Amino acid sequence: MTAVRTAEPPRLPVRSKTAAGERGWGGVSPMLTRLAAERATGVLVRERGTLHLADGLVVHAESPSAPGLDTLLTAHGTLPPEAWQRALTEADDGRGVARHLVDGGHLTPGALELCHLTAVYDAAYFALAPSSTPGRFRYGTAHRLGPIRPVPVAALEHETLRRRDLLHRIWPDPGTDEAPLIRADPVAAPALTRRQQTVLDRVNGVRTAPDIARELGRLAFHTLVDVRRLMAAGVVSPLPRPAHPKPTEPRRAEPRRARGEPPPVPVPVPVPTGLVELPPDPHTTLLKRLRDALEAL
Amino acid sequence: MPGIDECLLEAMRLPGARGAALIDWMSGLALGVVGESPGGDQETAAVEAAEIARLAAEQHAFAPAADPDDGAAADADPPVEDLIVSNRDSYHVLRFVGASFDGSVFLHLWLARAEGNLALARIRLGEMAERLVLA
Repeated sequence: MTAVRTAEPPRLPVRSKTAAGERGWGGVSPMLTRLAAERATGVLVRERGTLHLADGLVVHAESPSAPGLDTLLTAHGTLPPEAWQRALTEADDGRGVARHLVDGGHLTPGALELCHLTAVYDAAYFALAPSSTPGRFRYGTAHRLGPIRPVPVAALEHETLRRRDLLHRIWPDPGTDEAPLIRADPVAAPALTRRQQTVLDRVNGVRTAPDIARELGRLAFHTLVDVRRLMAAGVVSPLPRPAHPKPTEPRRAEPRRARGEPPPVPVPVPVPTGLVELPPDPHTTLLKRLRDALEAL
Repeated sequence: MPGIDECLLEAMRLPGARGAALIDWMSGLALGVVGESPGGDQETAAVEAAEIARLAAEQHAFAPAADPDDGAAADADPPVEDLIVSNRDSYHVLRFVGASFDGSVFLHLWLARAEGNLALARIRLGEMAERLVLA
């Protein structure tokens, strides 16, 4: 019997602090670095997300690509949706939504800190993604969520860069991060983890990785990791578009719509009828993937 | 009802505790760190602990067997409760925190072998992991 081997994912990266310093500025966004230095309070709106600052520290982050704190907390029954709504309405007294959730006995401070902190890093990964337009900063008051566990700007930027490395090491083509996903036909299907199987079950040619994360109430970055690993295993691939740029070319950043709106459902472009009716030869697919991977190195 | 820091400080009160951290194993991010870090660098220690935690959490061989009466055991998330790594001078106890949301989080306690009590640390860490997220 042939033992089925799971493709071993590459090791998690450690980002060298000296390398960051050598690039002139260690940051992802010079504007954010400046705001941190002047201990600004307000909202930084970038192309793919927003960061809320209080005294130069990041207190909250949101992105249309990442599920919000409410989704993460309510999707798994950690918090009843009514409790979230009530905390939102009661928070007008200035004490912050977070305080109400904890005081109301709905959440332990630990669960709230954990969920919020992971959600901030998750949304910030997208908010700090390279953008084609400059960010705008609105000075003002801190986020109504109230202080939970503020994150220094430098730590957030450092982690965001490390996360880019992490994804790149798993599979160097970012094509699966935003495109609708389809199932590929692997030559030898590897054993999948339960997490990956749940993600794979939702791949239907329309949903993108962030859509799947939102539906499952999972962190978007974690879902990107799962999807890139599935891609590396040859189990999924991005839906090919007619004018699909070659994987080695930098992808054109698509402006996202107003936040809150669901991501646009891609118009089923002259769908790869050939793909639906006639699955491509697995061996050809494998060779193409090998070529793409080599080019992307 | 503790927050992350209170939980880690409580872990540090265990006999022989040298360092404690709360780490996300999918990304390798340390969400909180108290005390010393094994190897000296906090980020490297978190990443290395995350690697071994991920391996343990993802291998089918370490998951509990399915209970014929109740499918819950097989679907337990995370499938592994804790991991113990020992060496000549210390113990490392990695305790997975129950996933009440998309959690891939564990507590990492580093204990000096001479003063540490592994059985006690394992029990206490389990209680702390539960209290951290359960209201």
